[in-house]
Amino acid sequence: MMDEEHTRDYRAQCAQCSAVDWGITDEGQFYCRSCHNVIERTQEVVDTSYLVNSRISTVSKKTRNKTKLEHGRDWLVCEGFQFILRQQADALLALGVCPQFKDDVLCNMWRRYLQKSRQAYTRNPVRAGRFRLARPASDSDSAPESLGLSDFSRASESETEGEGPSRPSSASASASASGWSSDGCSSVCSGSLDAGAYSSSRETMTLMTMPRTLALCHLGLLWAREALTLSDLLRFVAEGHVPYINAHQAFPEEMKLYGRDIGVFRVESIPSHQSVQQQAHKMAVFLKLPAFPPITPECLLHPSPLSLRYLMEANLPDELHGWVRKVVKQAGIGQEALLTYDPTGRKAQLGSYDLQAAALIIVTMKLLFKLDDQAEWTLSKEADEENDRENRIFSLLRWYRTVQPVLDLARGREEHSLARQTWKPRKPLYPSKKEKSVVLKRRRVVEQLQANFQKLSGSAPEPQRCPPSSFRFRWGEEEEEGDLDGPSFQNQSLDRALRQSGRKSRLSNPQYWHTALRTCDPWHCGDHFAEVEPTLPGTYAWVLGLFSFLLGVPTARVHAEVCRVEHRLVENKSKRKRKRPPARRERKRKRRRAASSTKTTSA
Amino acid sequence: MDDIDAEQDISSDELDSSERAQRPSLPLKSQRDQETPFETGFHRTARICLMKIRESLFQLQWQEAADYMSSYFQTLEDTTSGRPQLASEIIWRLGTEILHHHPNTNLEDFNSFLERIKNTSVKTYLEVCLEHSFHLLLNGKFDDAKRQLSIAESWRYGKQSASQEHRIKLVQAYRGFLDYFTWSAKKSSVSGADDSDAAANQEMHNYFRQASVSLKEILQYPGVWDPFVISYVDMLEFYGDEEGALSVLKDYAYDNRFPSNPNAHVYLYQFLKKHKAPEKKLIKALQILHASVPSHELMLELCSLLLQTGRESCFREALTVIFSLLDYSSWKDNLQAWCCMRDVLKLLKRKKLTCFIAEEWESRASWWPAYHFRTNQAKRDFEQSPDLLTAKAGVASALTGRKCMYCMWKNTLLNKAKIKRIKAAKRPLKGRRRSERIRAERIRAERRSERIGAGRSGDRSGSGGAERSGDRSGSAEIGADQGGADQGGAERGGGGAERRSERRSGRGGAERRSERRSGRSGDRSGSGRSGAGRGGAERRSGRIGAGRGGAS
Repeated sequence: MMDEEHTRDYRAQCAQCSAVDWGITDEGQFYCRSCHNVIERTQEVVDTSYLVNSRISTVSKKTRNKTKLEHGRDWLVCEGFQFILRQQADALLALGVCPQFKDDVLCNMWRRYLQKSRQAYTRNPVRAGRFRLARPASDSDSAPESLGLSDFSRASESETEGEGPSRPSSASASASASGWSSDGCSSVCSGSLDAGAYSSSRETMTLMTMPRTLALCHLGLLWAREALTLSDLLRFVAEGHVPYINAHQAFPEEMKLYGRDIGVFRVESIPSHQSVQQQAHKMAVFLKLPAFPPITPECLLHPSPLSLRYLMEANLPDELHGWVRKVVKQAGIGQEALLTYDPTGRKAQLGSYDLQAAALIIVTMKLLFKLDDQAEWTLSKEADEENDRENRIFSLLRWYRTVQPVLDLARGREEHSLARQTWKPRKPLYPSKKEKSVVLKRRRVVEQLQANFQKLSGSAPEPQRCPPSSFRFRWGEEEEEGDLDGPSFQNQSLDRALRQSGRKSRLSNPQYWHTALRTCDPWHCGDHFAEVEPTLPGTYAWVLGLFSFLLGVPTARVHAEVCRVEHRLVENKSKRKRKRPPARRERKRKRRRAASSTKTTSA
Repeated sequence: MDDIDAEQDISSDELDSSERAQRPSLPLKSQRDQETPFETGFHRTARICLMKIRESLFQLQWQEAADYMSSYFQTLEDTTSGRPQLASEIIWRLGTEILHHHPNTNLEDFNSFLERIKNTSVKTYLEVCLEHSFHLLLNGKFDDAKRQLSIAESWRYGKQSASQEHRIKLVQAYRGFLDYFTWSAKKSSVSGADDSDAAANQEMHNYFRQASVSLKEILQYPGVWDPFVISYVDMLEFYGDEEGALSVLKDYAYDNRFPSNPNAHVYLYQFLKKHKAPEKKLIKALQILHASVPSHELMLELCSLLLQTGRESCFREALTVIFSLLDYSSWKDNLQAWCCMRDVLKLLKRKKLTCFIAEEWESRASWWPAYHFRTNQAKRDFEQSPDLLTAKAGVASALTGRKCMYCMWKNTLLNKAKIKRIKAAKRPLKGRRRSERIRAERIRAERRSERIGAGRSGDRSGSGGAERSGDRSGSAEIGADQGGADQGGAERGGGGAERRSERRSGRGGAERRSERRSGRSGDRSGSGRSGAGRGGAERRSGRIGAGRGGAS
């Protein structure tokens, strides 16, 4: 302790091991504590014999310094999250989301969260005993009066606890100071005021976490009916266009982050599609959000426009879209009531529009080409024979040959960027003051090593970020400029897959196969993809893989969604059968049985 | 915890038990390659990054490996317990490899890299220091290397330094070894000058004292210390302490705590031979060597020594020795060995001791004809040298009778050659020139075969160098340059020989023997340590010098 006082001002790195951890030998020389290297510098001898009071003055000075330098300003965990959410919203606005998203939607959701979790806008704050909650740092919102957003007005009045927002009592300087000093003395320390209480709290549902910021963003985007699906959001997060990994680095200088804060703000993985979806649903229920704005066919989240987008992404012909729409109609997925998310409903579920659209495309492809490793190749052979030069007719084989190498390349690129992803912040987080020097030293060593190796290669220190785009691939004709992944199949016709009879066109493939459609208890068995996978036809599995890569979800989830769509199709079919006597419709080609066998055939 | 530690455990256990252990299961695919269900994104990145580094190392793409490596450094900041330790070891080993091969590296990069690594892990501090000094030696920085070792010697870090006692011993031994080099350099300069300069002499003695203290120390511990023993004995010899040198060598060879090491017996034999020890002692030393390495090149000497005694039992033993030597495929086309065999057979026939031959032949009758005396073998032997063909034919006829295929082929081949020669001689001037050329070629071929036969040691040192050009086990290399030429390189030569034997065992004719051959023939060259059986562990220990677990 004595030494620290004297060596505090000497911050130079040790020449031997580049640590900054100085001690003083008995002779008064400085030495490095990590490598025991004694250096020239000696302690400035202060004769304390005649100045008894000097110690006291030093101590008081030290405390003041520390408060100013190391502690920074008082802040709460929820303020930190507010800051991160604001950054995320700004990033999303920069990506082209409508400006109302930030101020009207996300901001109000956040306030609602603060109120529901009794962190602010309430007469009964959650941790009133220990700390008075400081007013959230008002960066964007100046007046919390406008809490009851017009959209939320449908929410029952009784649910909101405090009608008028209780003015967050301004934390008195003395209270916070005492709070700090008591915290500082105990082993539990953190940069924020309430991180300790935060991590020991049992109300896990009400606490904000890093994945929940994404869930909240997703809910906001859904409310604003933005064409940004959850898989897009997660991809932008992974590519770094939306701040998430080390988002705390952008905190203002006064907001010091250490100790218990680490557990709250450190990010070591990007949450999965499924988990964010679940969190978002839980969050919506917790916030008691009313029914979301309806998803109309004009809205970009509706399966019909969304599937068109994925058709373009997968380089499939536009003509397929007509068939997708037919499937949507047949399966009854396009209904507004079904698509609109309503957390107040009893069996409410937050659907994944992206997955659904992909599944619709796959089902349509199965209808047209069967995808059983035989029919599609026969059809494409016929198409190729007919094509000769023009390339007018869509051939699945040629499509596969175009997309496959591009997909492989993209997978390699993704793996490369994953391998080179930086997870550790530039300013390291240290769990306690004791470990601070160790952590800082390690960080320095890492940086030096990196510099050492980058000098070798002379390459850019960070892998280059690609500009944000909704599309992962670019398909087009040769004449267009820009780097394209391959020729586009957009305008090709499906002539081979269809057969003209009179004015109507029919599918030339009369059969359809599907895996077992029984629904099982989700509590007992998850998905059966692992069991089914080896028996699936190669083409189908490849298409699943393509869409699973495009959406960034496991293949099993795409397959499960396909099964769900098929299930709905079959259900609707049998319902209609029961209702109406067989008419001309009956002869339609989409006849199938809900047999549990892998393959079914019909005339 | 991690496989590298596990490896170390294996190697040290193996040396402790001082008997030949099974080949350790190689950690080809470790657990860390697989995805775990609750893996964080950070760990996933680390796993994939490591995989990528390995891939690019295998493909010799150093630039790519360096790029991935610079991303991999963040694993040092991992907060999971035990991970940073592991990461620092991985970074140390892979990073050295990359720096070693990358075209843009210079010595400063290497030094600063290793300095940083030393600071990240205390557990491997001494090993990194050792390796650092090896690398400096490779680059000709003798004094820097010595300084590194002194730094490592004076290193103290709480309990860590206590637990790494045997590593410190090794470091000290290497320091002593380098002192020995300084000593021998001084020795040559002092002996070069006529007037013995007192000061220079004194300095030389000081180095001797320093070196001998640490070398003597390390020899107390069981282990394979070939270069140390050689240098220590050399110094003792210089100061006339032959008794001491002999006792050191005897301890090294006969102490049961030490792992069995054929080189120990070789050194002892060479020392005895140099000091004109009685034949009995020489034979005794070689007999022990024969028990462990029947394919050693000194077996020819043993054979001739045994024949010189003139006793019946010794004749019999000589026969066994030469038979078992020729069991190994590496001696298959060695002229000297076959001549020796022919002489032994002749001698025994003269002495009417053919029963011995019959006994030895009994177990080999089933496979030797196919192994040695095939028709195409005869052709190959003839191409190599007609003398070999003749010697082998003599042996074949003695063993299998005159009507064997090999002898018949010998006659045909020699006759053909004779006819050719006569024809060439009959031809006018133009043809004669050609015949002269043929003769010159033949002479050249004979010389080559002689070189192959006699100059085994040259072959060996070559293999040592070829194993891995300019490797980290640099000290051993330098030993080969400065110290006694074969002994220093011995350990590395062992590695090379092992590898060679692996390659060779694939094509060996006699399957029955192939297993034993692959186990032993590595030692044929006299350089190898016993057995490729230990393969992996040995080579690994070779990296930090003369075996590491010994001191424990």
